[in-house]
Amino acid sequence: MVRCMLIPLLLSAACGGESTETTSKPTDQPVATAAERGTTIKFDPATLRAEAVRIALVPSPAEMQKALSNAGLTSQLAQMVDVRDIKMTGNNKDQTAVRAGVVLADIVLTIKASDDVAQLTRLARLKQGFVALGADESVSRVIDDLSGRIRSGSGSKDDLVKEMDQLAGVMVPELKFTEGGEGLIPLIQAGSWLEGAYLVSGAIQAEGKFEEARNLLKQPAVVDYFLGYVKKEGKERAPDAVVDTLEKTLTTLKEIAAKDDLTEEDVNIIHSATGAVLKLL
Amino acid sequence: MRFLPLVALLATSGVGSGVAVADEEEADTCLRNKIWSGYNDGWAVRTATTATLGAGEHRIYLVTLYAGNEYRIQACGDNSSNNLDVVLHDANGTEIMRDESVDREPLINFKPSNTDTYYIAVYAAVLASGQSKAGVATAVTYR
Repeated sequence: MVRCMLIPLLLSAACGGESTETTSKPTDQPVATAAERGTTIKFDPATLRAEAVRIALVPSPAEMQKALSNAGLTSQLAQMVDVRDIKMTGNNKDQTAVRAGVVLADIVLTIKASDDVAQLTRLARLKQGFVALGADESVSRVIDDLSGRIRSGSGSKDDLVKEMDQLAGVMVPELKFTEGGEGLIPLIQAGSWLEGAYLVSGAIQAEGKFEEARNLLKQPAVVDYFLGYVKKEGKERAPDAVVDTLEKTLTTLKEIAAKDDLTEEDVNIIHSATGAVLKLL
Repeated sequence: MRFLPLVALLATSGVGSGVAVADEEEADTCLRNKIWSGYNDGWAVRTATTATLGAGEHRIYLVTLYAGNEYRIQACGDNSSNNLDVVLHDANGTEIMRDESVDREPLINFKPSNTDTYYIAVYAAVLASGQSKAGVATAVTYR
């Protein structure tokens, strides 16, 4: 019998690309015997494709900011996030998931830069969204804890950044829901990724560094992953302006991602198409 | 000193004596400590997840990695594991690199020159004597 329990651990802790740099852990151990080392397994492409899980497929908005900086762009996405209050109203869970994802991205990006009132508002909205989605209550407890520490001024901004990383990158991809929930996590991730793509394309436009667009925006596997869920959900769901627009946007992004390289026009289309979804929220 | 809303307690129980109990929590704690200490060197976490693997079993993860970012792929096994391997492949399935150490905390660093998808395989090469399952936690961090 195997029993799985997803629980939050509110723990204190001490705490085709070719590679340009690759290192593995130094092997300063004595030479291992075959028995100690075990079989050296090789994975064929068919096995990789068939068995791969996509829990880590979608990059986080914070990772997008890092990629932007490493590509030599100076824009700070945190300063580009629109000031808005995205409400978690309505009965459509797909739309709520997208909304929650956008808010989550905004929190991750601005946790260090924005004022406490703005962050508390966003955290409250995020909690409302997760509650509306029927997410495991552990995520609400984590948000309450974060909000409490912002209110009390305890803990550093750096620590909050880490904890939001954990929430967005570790906890959300494995969220459980009281009922259903199939497809909600990809839609939350889609909301976050969409906000990140909108901001990154805006940064490329602002700095005119269109030659970096391929490495910063071309992610066909991510788009396919989202599109698969949006289309699957679409067969069963009622018409919804946000999700319908999301599907159109993803279809446009899929066409662009199929190109070898991205042009200025492609970046403009990405910015416009992702913005079309965000404007509806 | 901060909490980490990381996952996971997986309790397994077998039938009969001598059946191993994989401890994902132990693996998770090991990995969590590595993630937290990594922040001191500029690493941030993309994701972390846990699994229970039998001898010779594996998990495969599809990830998007950005050009210019540096990535660290690492895993921790519980006491039931003796040698875990991490193997990185490109989008075509070609092996790029693998951890060569013989222990239960494999690690590889990778800095792609192109943004693309990659496959990460985590493989339980050797379990401890008498053990049939091991808890394994895997993380992708970046800077």
